[in-house]
Amino acid sequence: MRLLSLTTVAETLRMAAPYACAAVAGVWAERAGVVQIGLEAVLLSSAFASVAVALATGSMVLGVSGGVAVGVALSVLHAALVDRTRIDAVVAGIAWNLLAASGSRLGLRALYDSASNSPSIEGFRFGPTGNDGWQVLARVLCDPVSWLALIAILVSPYLLERTRLGLRIRAVGENPTAARAAGIEVGKTRLVALAISGAIGALGGVHLAYDQHRFESGMSAGRGFIALAAVVLSGWLPGRAALACVAFALLEAMQFVLQDLGQASRAVTVVQALPYVAALVALGLGIGRRSAPGGLGKHAEG
Amino acid sequence: MAEAIEPRIELIGASRRFGERTAVKALDLTLEPGRIHALIGENGAGKSTALKLVAGLLAPSDGEVLVGGTRLDEASPRAAMARGIGMVHQHFMLVEPFTALENLILGAEPVRESPLSRLPFVGALFGGGRLDLDAARREAERLAAEAGLSVRLDARVSELSVGEKQRLEILRVLFRGAKAILLDEPTAVLSPLEVGELYATLRRLASRGDTVAVVTHRLDEVVRFADDVTVMRHGEKVHAEVLDGDARAHEEATIRRLTRAVMGGDVPDATARRPIAEDAPVVLELTDARVDGTGSRGLAGVSLRLRAGEIVGVAGIEGNGQRELVTALAGVAPLVAGRVALDGAPLFTSHGDAPSRVREARRRGLVAVLDDRHHDELVLDATVADNLVLGDLGLAMPGAAVDADEAALSSRRFERFAVEPRDPSRLGRELSGGNQQKVVMARALDRSIRALVLGQPTRGVDVGTARVIHEAVAEVAARGAAVLVVSADLSELRTLSHRIVVLSEGKLVADLPPTATDEALGRAMLGAYTEAPGGSR
Repeated sequence: MRLLSLTTVAETLRMAAPYACAAVAGVWAERAGVVQIGLEAVLLSSAFASVAVALATGSMVLGVSGGVAVGVALSVLHAALVDRTRIDAVVAGIAWNLLAASGSRLGLRALYDSASNSPSIEGFRFGPTGNDGWQVLARVLCDPVSWLALIAILVSPYLLERTRLGLRIRAVGENPTAARAAGIEVGKTRLVALAISGAIGALGGVHLAYDQHRFESGMSAGRGFIALAAVVLSGWLPGRAALACVAFALLEAMQFVLQDLGQASRAVTVVQALPYVAALVALGLGIGRRSAPGGLGKHAEG
Repeated sequence: MAEAIEPRIELIGASRRFGERTAVKALDLTLEPGRIHALIGENGAGKSTALKLVAGLLAPSDGEVLVGGTRLDEASPRAAMARGIGMVHQHFMLVEPFTALENLILGAEPVRESPLSRLPFVGALFGGGRLDLDAARREAERLAAEAGLSVRLDARVSELSVGEKQRLEILRVLFRGAKAILLDEPTAVLSPLEVGELYATLRRLASRGDTVAVVTHRLDEVVRFADDVTVMRHGEKVHAEVLDGDARAHEEATIRRLTRAVMGGDVPDATARRPIAEDAPVVLELTDARVDGTGSRGLAGVSLRLRAGEIVGVAGIEGNGQRELVTALAGVAPLVAGRVALDGAPLFTSHGDAPSRVREARRRGLVAVLDDRHHDELVLDATVADNLVLGDLGLAMPGAAVDADEAALSSRRFERFAVEPRDPSRLGRELSGGNQQKVVMARALDRSIRALVLGQPTRGVDVGTARVIHEAVAEVAARGAAVLVVSADLSELRTLSHRIVVLSEGKLVADLPPTATDEALGRAMLGAYTEAPGGSR
């Protein structure tokens, strides 16, 4: 197995999906001016919900819907909470993350009497079986959740830049006071943006769970935070944020490939740290630095 | 729907309370279509609140607002727009990173119809929601030509000059189909030339039947350009008159009459500057000072000497280096080349970092007031009491008893400038612009001063308070400090300065006596005039 093979490509795409979804979800929230560090919570809760619904109904499609519904609900609730109570969005985000981590553990115990994972689900199994590079790649390319995620990510720039809704969301994110003076309902617009954010983020969570064919405690594993870094790195542009996530996934995929090659353990440790170091360096160098939305975390005044 | 509205607006016995405070008391006011109505009064007299009642941005606590004879019962920006009323706020309501065109259409975006738009949900997102920028541009260009407003539609707002931003705001109101346009202190930020252009535009709108109302502090422009004037004092209407040809012909007398109404009595004469001692030493000296500009040329080599007791005014069209001059002297912006000396010893060169520059300037008695009080001078979410002593307390050791000193200092400054409302525990943002400026000036003028640098010291400040500030500045100079005043208000510069220098494209192009005519100053501002220092008109 070589470092850059079809397998690496397949693994990169597979791993990029949750990151990219979370990052684009972050872009939608923050372009609307809502600080959303609860992406981790969105991933985790939607992963859990999708598995729970899939197990309860036996329908994988309903499982996806259930996951998306929970992601949307959580994000909309976040926006409403921040807008109505003027609670600090960072604090709220931390609370969501803690709540999702403990809540999903509680759910595992209550529903499946397990501390670590749910029973397995069928998920979507399309494409050839086998472990050849092309077979792995074909399976990734046949995954409906990935397609949904891809479509959502691809239409995001169009929606944000070219539509009335997008213009209003950006206005509310850059200067809520001015947006309100222009007759835009700031709170409502933010709710809509966060609903979209939640739906896209939830696709990432669903992807995680369906990819593993079960829910595992803490399976989001910090992806929501890496996604936040990608948001900043991209200068709050959805396409670039998704690309940053693909680059990150590539580093991670290579790390697995290296592990498989059985390299010396020390080298593996270094490689494992690589994606994170790369993210830090990129942030530190301010690559593609563009300032944050001017109204990030601000409410309409006056 | 806006076309159907007869834009006569009436306030009938309208009051507006904020908690315990009554901002507007039983006000009767009628704005007639086709006329320019000026609303004047001191800071905190209730002018802006009255304007917001008219605009339908605030609901009256008592009384009613009639637009074209029908009661305005919902107060919100949307409701006001639906009624054909548009407001241009004192602080522009523009989204800076957006283009002018995007700002223009915001909230009333034209969209393109397509087969997709008939689909439920998807239609709302994609089809019906797709912006039609071409249609917007055509409409905007038509309206701009009609009203005589020039705005670069594709430039980002952050690249527009202040005057251009204001024209964009007006154009936006017209784009909404408004038949009534209300402006809150529109001329506070404009150069004399732009003021004339603004009123020409407003006159054009009025003459086609629109209703125009303006809140302002400048009485000369009221007399020159308005048809009706209403004077407010402590929330009540105290005077109203129609400005006919006679009132205009006797401009001086009319201004005096209006000033009395604004102040509620006779006003002492403006403070004359005090003479400078023959042998007064040079206190502040700039030598070939150069500063990088933000969005403008910056300061392109300015040399200037100020003697003890001397007040030098700086005139110029906004964006010709005034801001850079003030920020450099405040120690905030670095000099790229050249130097600034205080009392004969170097103070700023092109070396050194901002914190040490500011500290050193403070230690040696160079006090500067920047022109953007919201950004640079006040912490809006801190109390007035805290803002009054901001930066004046040493680093207190934990537990050290600074509270008493702080309170004494704070209340002395509070009293000296009679800050309204009379409650130092209010937050900075709750004050009117003029009172915020009082806080800024009270703090700056109470320091030990060798040289004082002021950026727009009375922008948005009423006549009475401006006098208090001018008096205080003249006093500081009389005690031997050198004073540099940058202002867009020529009459302010005339009142205060011993001489007026003119900045154009980052260079000093003229040095004129305070008696110089508007015309001479205006020519210099446009860079078409130079005269030797000390020259007469």
